[in-house]
Amino acid sequence: MTQPVLVIEHLRVDFPEIVAVNDLSLTIESGDICGLIGPNGAGKTTTMRAVSGLQECTRGQVRINGHDLAKEPEKLKRQLGFMPDFCPTYDQLTATEFLDHFARAHQLSQKEKRIQECLELTWLSDKSGALCQELSRGMKQRLVLAKTLLPDPKVLLLDEPASGLDPLGRIELRKILLQLHDAGKAVLISSHILSELSGFCNKAAIMERGKLVMFGGIAELGQKMTSRKISLKWRADGEKALEILKAADVMNIEAQPSGATFQFKGGTEGLDELLKSLVLQGIRVSEWRGAGDDLEQIFLESGAKELM
Amino acid sequence: MKLNENPIFLTQKRLVHRGGVLAAILISAIVGLSLLSGLVAYRVNASYYFPDFETAQQAGKTFYGFTIGVEIVLLVLGGFSRISRTLAEERKAGLYDSNRLTPLKPTQIVAGYWLGPALREFYMALVLAGTGLLIVLLAGLPLTFWLGSQLLIFGSALFFGLLAIPAGLGVQRPQIGVLIVLIFFLIQPFSFSFPRFVLTNFLLPSYAIVNLFTDAKDLSRGNSYQDWAGWPSLFGLPIPPILLSLCLQLILGFLLWRGATRKTANPFQPLILRREAVVIFGILLLVQHGLIWSLWRGNFPVPAINGEKYFYVVDTLFPAIQCGTILVACIFLAAASPQPETVRVTALRRPIKSFGEIFSRSAVSLALTLGAISAGVLLLQFARGFTNSWEVYLVTAGNLLSTFLIFALLLEYCRLRHKKRAVGFIVLWLFVLCFLPFILAGVFYSSAFAKLSLLAPGVAALSMGNGETIHYLAGIVFAHFGIAVLLWIVWRREWRQLLAKATASQN
Repeated sequence: MTQPVLVIEHLRVDFPEIVAVNDLSLTIESGDICGLIGPNGAGKTTTMRAVSGLQECTRGQVRINGHDLAKEPEKLKRQLGFMPDFCPTYDQLTATEFLDHFARAHQLSQKEKRIQECLELTWLSDKSGALCQELSRGMKQRLVLAKTLLPDPKVLLLDEPASGLDPLGRIELRKILLQLHDAGKAVLISSHILSELSGFCNKAAIMERGKLVMFGGIAELGQKMTSRKISLKWRADGEKALEILKAADVMNIEAQPSGATFQFKGGTEGLDELLKSLVLQGIRVSEWRGAGDDLEQIFLESGAKELM
Repeated sequence: MKLNENPIFLTQKRLVHRGGVLAAILISAIVGLSLLSGLVAYRVNASYYFPDFETAQQAGKTFYGFTIGVEIVLLVLGGFSRISRTLAEERKAGLYDSNRLTPLKPTQIVAGYWLGPALREFYMALVLAGTGLLIVLLAGLPLTFWLGSQLLIFGSALFFGLLAIPAGLGVQRPQIGVLIVLIFFLIQPFSFSFPRFVLTNFLLPSYAIVNLFTDAKDLSRGNSYQDWAGWPSLFGLPIPPILLSLCLQLILGFLLWRGATRKTANPFQPLILRREAVVIFGILLLVQHGLIWSLWRGNFPVPAINGEKYFYVVDTLFPAIQCGTILVACIFLAAASPQPETVRVTALRRPIKSFGEIFSRSAVSLALTLGAISAGVLLLQFARGFTNSWEVYLVTAGNLLSTFLIFALLLEYCRLRHKKRAVGFIVLWLFVLCFLPFILAGVFYSSAFAKLSLLAPGVAALSMGNGETIHYLAGIVFAHFGIAVLLWIVWRREWRQLLAKATASQN
């Protein structure tokens, strides 16, 4: 089993009149990309800030590679990269000068080489001489990501990194994250937009009103799901197929001209049985798949609300 | 890490240079050279250009005086404003936090923000210092005159620059920081009336600088320089004004440095620790009373100096110091008072079992400590004639203590009760307790109303001395303590409610 890189135990953060994060525990291993999902005000940013040390915790423990954040904050600064949900840049510096500032702060050897690497990784090489104020929002976001990657941290906390990015920017961000995954980084990435995170997260943590309502590997959570949305298409005998579905343990059937979507309550085996009975009764099934992506299904299962 | 390797300093330097420094340096050079040209003109044809100056030295001092005046405004006011504004803006933009998340040490971060943002003002001051040196040399003034004044100006710039760090860290709006130093400058005209007796003339080294400009010739003419001549004394011990200013700035600067680095290391720590507040308050009060000690030599109200010469000092200075003590103490109490939310979170972490823990953290216990220090230092002025003036002493010391207590209790009560609207209510109650009596006195033509003010009993006792009035004033102080007791009851109730809520939400 892989050694956990980031361990959060019973984290609690209090604000006046509100418990922003309440008893949150999660573990992230090397190479994990964990999506921290929740509606606005769920406590995602507060969790990120508390883990990075910018927000004082009421209780709980944050450990990175076995080091306690409260006891050894200086040691952890070299292992943790935090990208906030806005883009703090020095407007009057060029992209290279901005990165040079943080490379010096991290006392990097061969800082010029590392700056070039990070600019290339974030597709900003051609903007290296541009002033930060001349960069678009998406470019600024990538520049701040480049700054976060400079010291080659083992754990990355990315707070809403895709907000404000155009579709191309989101595709580029996805590529960068997959590269980080390949490099064995542990990434905790927050978003309130499910489609931003689907496809590359191998773990999900769903928060609502400061509490963690669901956490685990995407596959593992999929196994645990008690209901799932299925899309079915047939070539003929639609009427008969619908009758079979109604007789089975399914809900919310939405009939379409040559198919239907429905919610199936039951485990994987039950689902296999349903497909088998459809085929045995002569239905010519042309498509059989989960409707919506895994994250969306997990989120719906969690019962959290108000997500975009 | 050397300063020229400090990334924050280097970035600030880069930003200053990118914003342009040449025009600023040229403006400075033009100002400096204009003043220098005045002296050159005097040297060429004194009777035509400046017939009022008797000697080249006198002309040189005047022109150099203007130079250092501009330097002070640039370095102290401009530097403070620039540093506090930069820090407040970068804090708001998230850049300060980004820097805090790097392995830079808090001392390196503070040094970067302290010495970097005001470089433009520094360059301008350097140019003026250079032209000032030419003026001094051309006028035949001693080089030590230039060295001493420049040492004081640059020392003050460093001190006020350091003061700008907590200001920038503490204020929400960048402009508020500048107000702090503007208030300091506004006090100056008052303190100029008592050159060698008021502490602010040494914190901003007005006395030491003007003292450098005075000489025996000026004194014999009996002009206004005479108040600025000679050395001030601390408890009768003469002390060079340059040394006093530099020592004060060094000690307070060291404590400011500690506060700034502590706050940078952990923003959830208070800007000023209670023991530091006690030390700073103690130093300020002791030096202030040391400066005026020669007026009574511990035998207040009997003057120990020529009463005719200093009659205005004796009448108004001590009451003014009483008000100043209250003002400074209130600033410390406000800075050291814990936010109710901080205490609530602490209680959530570890249950606060006894009310004594709240008391020891609150501004109320600090008010008692500051009250005790004030009473102790105040006693130095009364010690030798205590049998004759004990009533005045008790009223004055009691007034300080009751005012500190009422302010601390009111501050925390309003914060607990009114939360975000607390500031308005604190201002309201302070207005009622301190200033409304003066308004009523004006409306009803009766000074009896004015004496009800929180600020009045000590001031009145010090300016009126013993007599029937003192018993009336003592009664008012007792009434003030009564208000403090009432506030104590409601204050205690609010704290208990907060702790009960914390315990409930813990479960």
